[in-house]
Amino acid sequence: MHQPDQSHAVRPVPSPYTGRQEIDLDVVREMMSHFTYDDHDEAQELILSALQEVNEHFGWVSPEAAEIVAEALGTTPSRVFAILTFYADFRTAPRGHHHLLICHGMSCYVMGSQKLVQTLRDEYGIADGETTPDENLSVHVVNGCLGVCDRSPVVKIDDHYAGHVTPESLTELLNRALAGREAMSVSEESNG
Amino acid sequence: MVSPVPSEHLQKLTSKEAFQQFQKSAIDRWTRMWDGDDTVISVGVGSSSIAKGALEVLDTVREIAGPNTVVREVSGNGAFWMEPWIEVKRPGQFPVVYGPVSQSDIAGVIDGSRDDLAVGVRGDQPVGNIRPLNEHHFFKDQVQLLTRNAGVIEPDSIEDAIARGAYQGYFKVLFEMSQEEAIAEVTTAEVRGRGGGGFPAGIKWESGRKAKAEPKFVVCNSHEGEPNVYKDRHLHEADPHRILEGILIACIAVGAERGYNYIGGEYPLGIKRFRKAVADAERLGLIGKNVLGSGKNVAFRVRTGGGAYVCGEASALMYSIMGVRGQPRTKPPRSVEEGIWKRPTVANNTETLANVPDIIVNGGEWYANIGTEKSKGTKLMTMQGPSKLHGVVEVEMGMTMRQLLNDIYGGMRDGYELKGIQTGGVSAGPITEAEFDLPIDFDSLKDVNGMLGSGGWVLFDQNVCAVDFARYMTAFSRYESCSKCVPCRLGNPALVEILDRIRFGRGSLEDLGLIKRTSKHIIELSLCGLGQVAPVPLVDMLDKFEDEFRAHIVDGVCPSGTCPISAREESLTAAD
Repeated sequence: MHQPDQSHAVRPVPSPYTGRQEIDLDVVREMMSHFTYDDHDEAQELILSALQEVNEHFGWVSPEAAEIVAEALGTTPSRVFAILTFYADFRTAPRGHHHLLICHGMSCYVMGSQKLVQTLRDEYGIADGETTPDENLSVHVVNGCLGVCDRSPVVKIDDHYAGHVTPESLTELLNRALAGREAMSVSEESNG
Repeated sequence: MVSPVPSEHLQKLTSKEAFQQFQKSAIDRWTRMWDGDDTVISVGVGSSSIAKGALEVLDTVREIAGPNTVVREVSGNGAFWMEPWIEVKRPGQFPVVYGPVSQSDIAGVIDGSRDDLAVGVRGDQPVGNIRPLNEHHFFKDQVQLLTRNAGVIEPDSIEDAIARGAYQGYFKVLFEMSQEEAIAEVTTAEVRGRGGGGFPAGIKWESGRKAKAEPKFVVCNSHEGEPNVYKDRHLHEADPHRILEGILIACIAVGAERGYNYIGGEYPLGIKRFRKAVADAERLGLIGKNVLGSGKNVAFRVRTGGGAYVCGEASALMYSIMGVRGQPRTKPPRSVEEGIWKRPTVANNTETLANVPDIIVNGGEWYANIGTEKSKGTKLMTMQGPSKLHGVVEVEMGMTMRQLLNDIYGGMRDGYELKGIQTGGVSAGPITEAEFDLPIDFDSLKDVNGMLGSGGWVLFDQNVCAVDFARYMTAFSRYESCSKCVPCRLGNPALVEILDRIRFGRGSLEDLGLIKRTSKHIIELSLCGLGQVAPVPLVDMLDKFEDEFRAHIVDGVCPSGTCPISAREESLTAAD
């Protein structure tokens, strides 16, 4: 029987990522139940979207979650892992309690984001894709653009954006964030 | 009622007449909203304004809005410098735009006591002392065709879009034109690919139509991976129906069974709004079997990428859609012969397709009168770095860089001294002030090793070192290489290594020759477009700023003071 193509229907948006998360496999199974398809071709087209949903919800994709995705879409875990390790958005290890995005687009580069990457390495000992040993802070250096160029260089910690960031203000911002376990919200007092 | 019909109440339209009826009532509602006795408050919500608190502003407006007030969530209008902004239309007046506003300003803005925050009037006439927005230098020289709905319609409302003319072009190709006629209009318009290549869209469509195999597909390339461009994100957030209509028209014109939009994962809000647009179009029966009783079928799928720059290359993009690693393949066969699932696939950039609805409605001749002889139409552009203003603008092809920078973006920010403008993202070289009087179009900048590319310009000042900037761009290509072919996979890291040697004060003059030789190998031997242009920014930086490279090597100083050589600290190493 032909079923209508539901793949782009508006699904319930997963709750935004906050903090460090273990992956609840039942939630992954529930997510996968929304991915319906008519044929094997369409199932393959859905692998990336499915992984994105898991990644967005939990901040990373574990091997167990990858297996569930593979099974639901009729493919192999190795195929799923080939994708996870190719596309930069996916993480295969959990994030820290706080997650920092450093925009490293050209605008931010010109306005000094390189110094922020350097600061992070010198003072917190972490580089792109890494997490501090106390699991408190992870960082993603965005090799693209967050699109807030009038405030460059820009960083985003949890849900909070900060603009015109200097090495000093970054350290200050991180100290404030790392003092608590609560994710920072958009409306925190901005220094930009 | 002046609010749009909620999506779940949208009824499927099954005939030509039903669509016209829907269109009529949408226009009626739109007119009643603007001419009526209600106060209309619109808040510009886009990814750039959300970062500055636009959602909180929207919440506050909803809280304190009085009776007889319509609150609308529109998109940003491209002017980043006035975000977050709100627009208030009082009965009998033109709407006035205020910004930037904070939550505490809103009550005053609404009751009219904070006119000091007004930026301008959206209309031709002043309101009191407030001048029309179009007289502001940021808007005055813009020609807004693709962005004319930005900040005006609610992107989540298909009714708003239809009231402003959406799906008229689609209607025309469904009922009034043959496939050949539709393609002929696009060919006459001479619209060239906006993704950077500049290939004429009409010719591509014609080869798509002539391709023998069935089914065929159309794919819209909305993977905007360049580290300096966000024009497609802006279009998705501001007017998703325009893009969707462009793709649907292309599907009918080339006889494709299904349209795709492949959207980079970088802009979740754009994806959300576009998915909503598709869902609503489906509810209305604009997508599906026997569209509006025309006997034509068209299906649609939204696919999203995962942050790999190389997926902007057409064959890599198609592999990504098919759920594998996005690694380009050799051509031929071209994708128009063998694309998604080995079927003929026509791939166009978002901005190219967004031009199509107006071309079909107004005719190719109309469009061919805009722009220059070889580059028709308008172009979305962004300027980054230390300019006074920032944002997405739409200008007619042929404007000079000097006009763009000084007249629209207000020139350099105080305290910054201009050095050059990097063009074409990471695919071309910089231009210097002597070259700012060339017209911006597909061909003119090529003579000075610049490139229109996707219209992203990066202004850099005397604090930016040419060697370090070249390293940044080469390191970008190194990171984004798909690793399939050797010259790109090994060549780019080699270039970064040489540049680091120079940055750390250990370079020799032979390194300059080595850069040129290595770059030549990468350019000539790489399989795809990414590799073939990866060393170009470096080669051109070296060409234009050779003195700076030599200063590092011969004098042991970095003139801008950026490179580790200046710090003279051996402990410093590359940060990534």
